[in-house]
Amino acid sequence: MKRLSSRGWLVMFLLTILLLAFLLAAFNFVTDPFGAFGDRFFTWWSYDETNNPRVAKLGYLDRHHGEYDSYILGCSATSSFPTEALNRYFDAKFYNMIVYGADMRDTENFCRYILDNYEAKNIVLNVYLGNGLSYGVEDDPLTLSMPARAEGGSELKYYLRYLFANPKYGAAKLSALRKDTYLQQDFDVFDEKTGAYDKERRDLEHIGGMESYLEAYPVFAQYPWARYDLTETENTMKSVAAIRDMCAEKGVNFVVVTSPLYCDYADYFPREQVEEFYSALAEVTPYWDFSLSSVSRDPRFFYDSTHFRNDAGRMALARMFGDGGVYVPEDFGVYVPRGGGAGHLSAYWDGPELDRAAYTAKVPIILYHDIDRDETAATMNGPWLRGQLTALKEAGYTSVTFNDLYNYVMYGVELPEKPVVITFDDGYASNYELAWPILKELDMKATIFVIGASVGKDTYKDTGVPMNPHFTVEQAREMIASGLISIQSHGYDLHEVEGRDPDPIRQGILRREDETEEEYIKFLRSDAEKMRALLSEMGTEPRVLALPYGYPSELGEAIMAEEGIRSTLTTEPVTNELIKGLPQCLYDMGRYGITSPISPEELINMIEG
Amino acid sequence: MAFTSVSFILFMAAVLALYYLLPGKVQWLLLLAASWGFYLVGGGWTIVYLLLTTLTVYLAGRALGALNSRKRTDKVKGLKKLTVLIAALLCFGLLFVLKYGGYTLRLIGVKGFEPLLPLGISFYIFQSVGYVIDCYRGKHPIEKNPLKLALFTSFFPQMVQGPIGRCHELLPQLTAPRRLNWDSLKYGIQLAMWGYFKKLIIAERAAVIVDTVMAEPSAYPGAVTAAAVFFYCIQLYCDFSGGIDIARGAAEMLGVELAENFRRPFYAVSLADYWRRWHITLGGWMRDYLFYPLTLSKPFIKLGKATRSRIPGKLGKLIPAALATFTVYFVIGIWHGASFRYIVFGLWNGVLITASFLLEGSYAAFRKRLRITDKNLPWRIFRILRTNLLVFVGRYLTRAPGLTAALSMLWATFTGFRLSDLGGVLDLGLAPSDIVITLTAMAAVLALELYQELGGHVRAGLEKRSWFIQWLGILAPLTAILILGILLRGDYIPSAFIYQQY
Amino acid sequence: MDKLMKILTETCPGVDFEKETALIDDGILESLDIVTIVSEIMDVFGVELNVDDLLPENFNSAEAIWRLIESRS
Repeated sequence: MKRLSSRGWLVMFLLTILLLAFLLAAFNFVTDPFGAFGDRFFTWWSYDETNNPRVAKLGYLDRHHGEYDSYILGCSATSSFPTEALNRYFDAKFYNMIVYGADMRDTENFCRYILDNYEAKNIVLNVYLGNGLSYGVEDDPLTLSMPARAEGGSELKYYLRYLFANPKYGAAKLSALRKDTYLQQDFDVFDEKTGAYDKERRDLEHIGGMESYLEAYPVFAQYPWARYDLTETENTMKSVAAIRDMCAEKGVNFVVVTSPLYCDYADYFPREQVEEFYSALAEVTPYWDFSLSSVSRDPRFFYDSTHFRNDAGRMALARMFGDGGVYVPEDFGVYVPRGGGAGHLSAYWDGPELDRAAYTAKVPIILYHDIDRDETAATMNGPWLRGQLTALKEAGYTSVTFNDLYNYVMYGVELPEKPVVITFDDGYASNYELAWPILKELDMKATIFVIGASVGKDTYKDTGVPMNPHFTVEQAREMIASGLISIQSHGYDLHEVEGRDPDPIRQGILRREDETEEEYIKFLRSDAEKMRALLSEMGTEPRVLALPYGYPSELGEAIMAEEGIRSTLTTEPVTNELIKGLPQCLYDMGRYGITSPISPEELINMIEG
Repeated sequence: MAFTSVSFILFMAAVLALYYLLPGKVQWLLLLAASWGFYLVGGGWTIVYLLLTTLTVYLAGRALGALNSRKRTDKVKGLKKLTVLIAALLCFGLLFVLKYGGYTLRLIGVKGFEPLLPLGISFYIFQSVGYVIDCYRGKHPIEKNPLKLALFTSFFPQMVQGPIGRCHELLPQLTAPRRLNWDSLKYGIQLAMWGYFKKLIIAERAAVIVDTVMAEPSAYPGAVTAAAVFFYCIQLYCDFSGGIDIARGAAEMLGVELAENFRRPFYAVSLADYWRRWHITLGGWMRDYLFYPLTLSKPFIKLGKATRSRIPGKLGKLIPAALATFTVYFVIGIWHGASFRYIVFGLWNGVLITASFLLEGSYAAFRKRLRITDKNLPWRIFRILRTNLLVFVGRYLTRAPGLTAALSMLWATFTGFRLSDLGGVLDLGLAPSDIVITLTAMAAVLALELYQELGGHVRAGLEKRSWFIQWLGILAPLTAILILGILLRGDYIPSAFIYQQY
Repeated sequence: MDKLMKILTETCPGVDFEKETALIDDGILESLDIVTIVSEIMDVFGVELNVDDLLPENFNSAEAIWRLIESRS
């Protein structure tokens, strides 16, 4: 055999380098963890956008811009102006073009690219005070860079960068693919369709008293202290002006809003610089200012140290469009005309202390089950019930419905001085026969949560095993008609009993170990559908779910929320704090379960203690 | 421009292409331009020091040349000595001021003098002073072209970390016209690949453990400290010899053969042998320009006569040489940095080497009685292990943050070594998989060196194999370097972390 | 020559100076050996050697060392 010459060796060497380079490039092209090449093989934009929203979002829009006609632009805080509300108020199809860490130069580049390449009716620009901190800074070339086609610069270099990127990114995408779940995780935080952060989990978490919120998010209790200077206000405003002019040139409706700021964050900046920032903005354009108000002083309106909640964004839009029905704090949102200065901000700095009681309410919820006909047994019976309800009344409590609670948080409709909610679980016939007459007698309202599968039955499902009887659809309609009783959901068939039902048994809305996430979601949706049909027979619709066994479940409640449920109830014995403007405080509300007869005094002590 | 950067590889490719395209007469000018360009990128304005040094030794060389052509009177001899002395003082003075000026001023209470240490200054100063001394000794003709001499003092592959070249070996190679030689190109690439393998895969990983422990050595038990020094031995060798291999490989691609700087030091049979295999060019420099002149100087010869007549036996003969040995290791120690631990390091090596020299006779007698020769395998393995242990102990001194830290680490290792503590190595920031990679790659290095130690020639041997085996010889190291050396170590931000920072 | 051999074997016992012709190149003699030998030679033979003479080729064999001594005496 002929010996390989050194020249041949060198050719082989170069070919091997090319081969390895090709393999690396092919891997990066196929996995495309940044969406730089259109994510042709996985189309998992949510993941790509998490890695680099600048690159992946334009990649997504290049393919989907036909589905949108309006864009909201800005840094990550912009995410919390919900596209659903924007669409409603603007009568448009919005895409939330937010990218984390965006400065105004990035935003200007995006706007130019959008106006040059896509159809646009409206451009909404969110200006964040933090924009004044940095301008034109680029950190990591893979995760924080702009696509060359939007920023200028060499396209070849841009594509080479992603072709020869660290393959760990691609490998991480492949392994995340196996770990992907229905709800958002750290690796896929964006909602592909709206472009906003997918905040489904954070928008369903229970919010109650301030103490528990500070415990859950200690950053607000001990806000890290810093002092910053707004050195880039001038550059930022130049870019805002450029965006304004671009929109004017193309005849696009241009609206500017500012992000609500958390009070401790705003304190990072000298007051003069803050005022200079907002009056400089007014020099460029009129805008709606939501930056500093009573909302700034309540951390519950914020996801974290720098991001306000979707509900705050929803209220901001309602204020802008004069949606009178929706609750919006009075001082939230000021329209600043061009050249309007920053005088309006003194209301925040020099105004009175925030009175939290003015927009919160304490609401205890009481839970009963069956009412025993035997008045001698040590179980809950008619006389005991009457005694307790009378005591509540005498203590000044007024019974309210869940609809009242919803109207309070959503529309600001005031509650009575001392509200209380009375609930009965499972839908026993005794509720109809014994409890309803007492409620009528005392003129008190109550909500009964029926187990759909048991309505009208006195034997357990198909087993023939006897059980306490449950009222019928007819009886339910009769109670609802009285105006005192609401019927709501305790799950259609989410209760199972060991021994009577096949193993493994279902435990409320929890996922069973033997089912996939997909099967589980499908099951919950079908259960919700059956409940909807049953309640519609009774003349009502499911809005409140008393969690079976009181077991909460993040995913389960998220699915139920998607099915129209706007409050869920546990059996944790606590009094709830409701906050106007934050309807998610209706999730996972606690209830005082009364399982054995206790004296009226004990009951009052319990709910007030 | 670090050897491990993409820009260096592109730079090298461009230099190679131009070099072999240019006519032979101007090739060396390209090398000079490339070297200065390389220096400007890495060292910026500090190139001034390099140029000043070059000018100094150029002028000294010319002066010596003029003196050499005169009659060798005492006056001329004196002038020659003076010339060398002035040039050496200027060069070493510069090195001293830049390297220890801040330290010395701090000792007398003056703060704030922290000059930027110019790239590769130790190496070009040693090389330049060597040039002047060789001129003095008439070892080679005086270089009349200042630019050619500048190429000698600044040749880019060896600029940063050596090897320290000798004028009569290197300069003719640098200025000779060259045609493209496929063999040297291949050998150069192979050598450089091997260097990258050692540096990127082994040294950079081992560094994680070393840095973690040395940042706070007292926080770790003896076993972990020992492991860290063990990894330091690996890191130091792979980093230094890897860099040298890249330098020699790059030079070889240009047809220039640089001096060998490492000869498988882990297989040394004695400490003296170790220092002949470790940083060979520095050792050679010290021997030729410090050790020999010192031992043959008049005071030393007088001292020798005195000790020989007063102290009988070997010891008497040895005292001047031992003194010179101490001086050399002391200078090497000081050259590493201004700290007492380097003085102790010099003492440690000096004492051991002198002792072994003294005991040589007893050893020989001992071996004779056991009827074993130096070729005896178990005996040789024993010596290798013993040598490595001595080197290992010495390394405590060079890496610890200070002398007391080094001594307390040594104390911890030898009094508190518990095997059960060794698990702590897993918590030093280097993943278990990376530890396995480091050790496996190091085993590969040692295996290949064993093959060389037994007389094997890797590159020549590989050449005789089939093209497929040769291809594997390309694919395996390239893939390893690409994946283990670059990609898996490169900057990577997990998406969860990206999100956390918004 | 006998005097030289005596110096050599005393300094480096166990080395076969009759046969070896690459004392330096093979690393048999270390610099420490060399300076010891050189100072002995200067003492015994009354010659003066200097640094320039300390070249590998002058010390690779006993014969070479002998030639060096003769050239200087």
